[in-house]
Amino acid sequence: MTPYAARRIRTALMTIVMFGIVVAFLSPLVQMTLSSLKSERQVSQAHAPLLPSDPRTFTHEGRQYDVYRVPLDGAVRELALVKKGRAESEFLDPAAPERGTVVWRGSWRTLEPSWVLAPQWSNYAAVWRLIDFPRLLLNTITLAVISTIGTVLSCTLVAYGFARFRFPGRGPLFTLLIATIFLPTAVTLIPTYTIFVQIGWVGTWLPLLVPTFFANAYSVFLLRQYFLTIPREMDEAASIDGAGPLRTLRSVIVPQAWPAITAVILFNFVYTWNDYFTPLVYLSGRPELQPLQVGLAAFNGLYSTKPAYIQAGAMMTIAVPVILFICFQRTFVRGIMSTGVEK
Amino acid sequence: MRSETTSWVARREARYGLLFVLPWIIGFLAFTAVPMAATFVFTFLNISLTEREPLMFVGLANYQRLFADRQAWASLWVTARFALLWLPLVVVLPFLLAVAVNSRYVRGTGLLRVLLFMPYVVPFVASALIWQNMLVDDGWINTALRVLGVGDAPSWLSDPSWVIPGLVMIGLWGLGSGIIINLAGLRGIPTELYDAARLDGAGWWRQLWHVTVPMMSPVIFYTMILAVVEVMQYFLIPLVLFDGSGDPGGATRFFNLYLYQTFFTYQEMSYGSTLAWLLFVITLVVTLVLFRLSRHWVHYTSER
Amino acid sequence: MNRLWHTLAAILLATTLAACGADAPPGGDDAAVELRWYCCLGTGEQAEQVKAQQKVIERFNASQRRIKVKLEVVTYDSARDTLATQIASGNVPDLAGPVGVGGAAAFHGQWLDLAPLIKSSGFDLSPYAKGSADLYRIGSVQEGVPFAIYPSTLYYKADMFEEAGLAEPPHKYGEKYTWPDGRQSEWNYDTLRELALKLTVDKNGKDATQEGFDPGQIVQYGFEPARDDLRYQGAAFAAGSLDTGDGKTVKIPDAWADSWRFFYDGMWKDRFIMTGPVFQTEQFNGDGAAFFSGHVAMSVNFLWSTYGVAGAGDDWDLAAMPSYKGRTTSPTSADTFRILAGSKHPAEAFEFLSYLVGPASQELLSAYGAMPARTADQDAFFAKLAGQFPNKVDWQVAKDSVAFADNPHSESYTPKYNQTLTILGTYRSRWMTQGGLDMNAQLKAMREEIQDVWNRS
Repeated sequence: MTPYAARRIRTALMTIVMFGIVVAFLSPLVQMTLSSLKSERQVSQAHAPLLPSDPRTFTHEGRQYDVYRVPLDGAVRELALVKKGRAESEFLDPAAPERGTVVWRGSWRTLEPSWVLAPQWSNYAAVWRLIDFPRLLLNTITLAVISTIGTVLSCTLVAYGFARFRFPGRGPLFTLLIATIFLPTAVTLIPTYTIFVQIGWVGTWLPLLVPTFFANAYSVFLLRQYFLTIPREMDEAASIDGAGPLRTLRSVIVPQAWPAITAVILFNFVYTWNDYFTPLVYLSGRPELQPLQVGLAAFNGLYSTKPAYIQAGAMMTIAVPVILFICFQRTFVRGIMSTGVEK
Repeated sequence: MRSETTSWVARREARYGLLFVLPWIIGFLAFTAVPMAATFVFTFLNISLTEREPLMFVGLANYQRLFADRQAWASLWVTARFALLWLPLVVVLPFLLAVAVNSRYVRGTGLLRVLLFMPYVVPFVASALIWQNMLVDDGWINTALRVLGVGDAPSWLSDPSWVIPGLVMIGLWGLGSGIIINLAGLRGIPTELYDAARLDGAGWWRQLWHVTVPMMSPVIFYTMILAVVEVMQYFLIPLVLFDGSGDPGGATRFFNLYLYQTFFTYQEMSYGSTLAWLLFVITLVVTLVLFRLSRHWVHYTSER
Repeated sequence: MNRLWHTLAAILLATTLAACGADAPPGGDDAAVELRWYCCLGTGEQAEQVKAQQKVIERFNASQRRIKVKLEVVTYDSARDTLATQIASGNVPDLAGPVGVGGAAAFHGQWLDLAPLIKSSGFDLSPYAKGSADLYRIGSVQEGVPFAIYPSTLYYKADMFEEAGLAEPPHKYGEKYTWPDGRQSEWNYDTLRELALKLTVDKNGKDATQEGFDPGQIVQYGFEPARDDLRYQGAAFAAGSLDTGDGKTVKIPDAWADSWRFFYDGMWKDRFIMTGPVFQTEQFNGDGAAFFSGHVAMSVNFLWSTYGVAGAGDDWDLAAMPSYKGRTTSPTSADTFRILAGSKHPAEAFEFLSYLVGPASQELLSAYGAMPARTADQDAFFAKLAGQFPNKVDWQVAKDSVAFADNPHSESYTPKYNQTLTILGTYRSRWMTQGGLDMNAQLKAMREEIQDVWNRS
């Protein structure tokens, strides 16, 4: 074997293995899709086929009977089970019911039901209505947009302050900022909640939105690290031209720091989209204000007996972020790459 | 004269700096410092909604109770067990996957990167429900295991000894960002280092050990620290899957879940605050130890 | 405690206001009193039920101008925690319901004593079955007026009995069960066990009493107890309480211990009850009621499970509860609306409560699928309920069951109520998921664990 061929084989093998891993990694999405199309009848049957199907039924004299594949006289016939018994059962031929019942000896439970492919697209329509999807979606988008704006505005200012100005206590303050990353949220929850109740904010979006305008450690850190890589000479030149600090930020720093800012935008958007606990705590009792995640969890509690509905609901919840991601995947990946290495 | 100008400039700079940082300082005081102090004060009081007792100072009673509280330590152990299984995976797996994706022998790197990252954007409530569907007894994972010849496939979500691995599997979907960060780190390693290693006759394995791993140590440390902070507070997925019941058999009553139960279900604000402070102290100690240890194995190419 | 919250609030309020320059929203100084109706500590969360509740509110709001009611729907799963948080932070709703005995016990001491209001408003308690108001009396406190009751019965699938060639279980209390060979036995849990074994069938059609039965491939289960709550399971054998009576000492009633052994052996030894992992599968319908999957022959449950029983097919019916040691118990749930002690408008809340259990009751009860506590309304209720099902159901069983209600109620208050529930839940879950446990040791450990919590002051 030539080295070239060996290399080709190695490449093919490695690529196949990697894509195999990815297929396994994403297979839950496939099962979700298939499950979301199942009918209730299929869900409650043992050993049902992989694809969404329904057991075939036959209606005779106003009653519905299941159709089974019955081995009779050396051939397999599709017959309707009309009278169940432990040792023998009676069957009817759907094609010729007038001929009367046939007795088959054996346990009917060992027979295989006859399946027809029947994806239930109506599951989606039902869930759309039951979960009030458009409202949840609108809530989520509004929350995500406003809090992302808040985060970007406040974090840019704060990061600029830390990156470019010397002031007493800067070092300790920055350490303190980083330390808040390690702070369990539980430590502040009860007093914070109490305050929000006292000022009448519980049951509104304010507890979710207002804090985002006061900067968070992750984003400030990422932005500050990026700002530090922008040469100081550039803002000095601007300040010689008579620009104040705010204008320097706007005209020099921000245009240079777009990759970092995009990353902050994306991260915060995804973060808000995925946040569950805060809206759960502050918006319980106000379903008209809740975002998708809370709505989906509540839906799970309500319809746990209908797994197909749950999966259809999950599918609808992930649709928007996944589509957004597919459209902007380059920006997403590059955004993370541009900041991830900065420590 | 000159020093006066300098000090004027310095004062002006300090003023601007503080002004820019002010939003964070206010936010820190309002949403972190004051509530945290309040929680600390609570640990010495007897605030409990169910027990109608006058508010009073109880000294260290809550701390005494903490040491005798079997559930608290059992819950801490649940969190620890999860962490022991999860941390190595969350640190090593993204690194290995990134190395593989970055390999010369793999085609379709861009597509792989995107597909591996995609589940990261799936909201976790949805991903918990999707995985629940995978992990039930007649789900795909056990069906696959049976096809592979495992007769007695585990009950991932209802066997106390298998539920932690089950939750770890659900968590795998969050690895995307780690993979991307590792990939970015790998791209940043100068190729000359590999060339030099090859000249020294180092094979693939030696290059990995002697060039890639040391050069990547800051990235690995970074993912590790974030994972530790997250794992200490882990409880939302079991909260969604098991309604916070700790099922099966208390095996998912994570420390943070017990904490929130104490707050919300038992309404014992003071004792809950004590648990919260314990969690805070443990997180602090663990991260400090990790930072201290990092001096021995993390190599920064340039000092800041 | 309230002073503490206020001081704390004042400090942070100042900081926050300074920070954002926003004004706190106005306190709503309208002429009308605004009442908050907190739902769903029990039933009431289904979309149709929410709609019915909204309609009742609209009508009430339109009927007068002094009181405006607002409905707050929190799904059952998070309703208790949310209410606890609201009370803790002084954000107390006025009225909660429908809430059962257990939901109320979880907020022991938080409910308003209605006795003075009942007296001053001249509320008429006579249309209700005698003593039914006592269901809502905790000690000396009258927490509610009768509204809905849900007796327990045995649901069963007639077609499965027919397929196995067995007679259906008795519908009348005191009747015996007749076996195919003419033998008659007392309708008790031993008979039920024997039946359940014959009605547990594997993939090959063999039942649990036959040679070669494959417990790994069961497709039909004989029996499903009230799985959600161990206390309910216990009370289905005989009424009891974990509290010996002094409010300090824990004792597991013997009947409860027996019922839990029955449950445990039914899952792991006799195999006629599905284990936890099986119960989780889609085929046996997730964490809903297993009977609804149509793969279970008999199941003990409250009357309210009529909401989903149609899933079991059109061959189900109701039978009498089996007896234990010669006595029959039908654990009975009782829902009503309660007023929170922290309500700022108790008089108005009681006015609305009177409306809910009075003029609006029929409409609400039918939305909840609940049997009216007012005896005169019961026939109309069952006539309507019967209309929902294609099959003929013997509703008389439900009416007869009320006479066997459990006293003390299984969900009654015990010390450290929520903590005790957590421990019971943990053991329940452990038993469902682990075979081969020594039940005597388990019961002993459980008692000690609960005692530990009760000992904590």
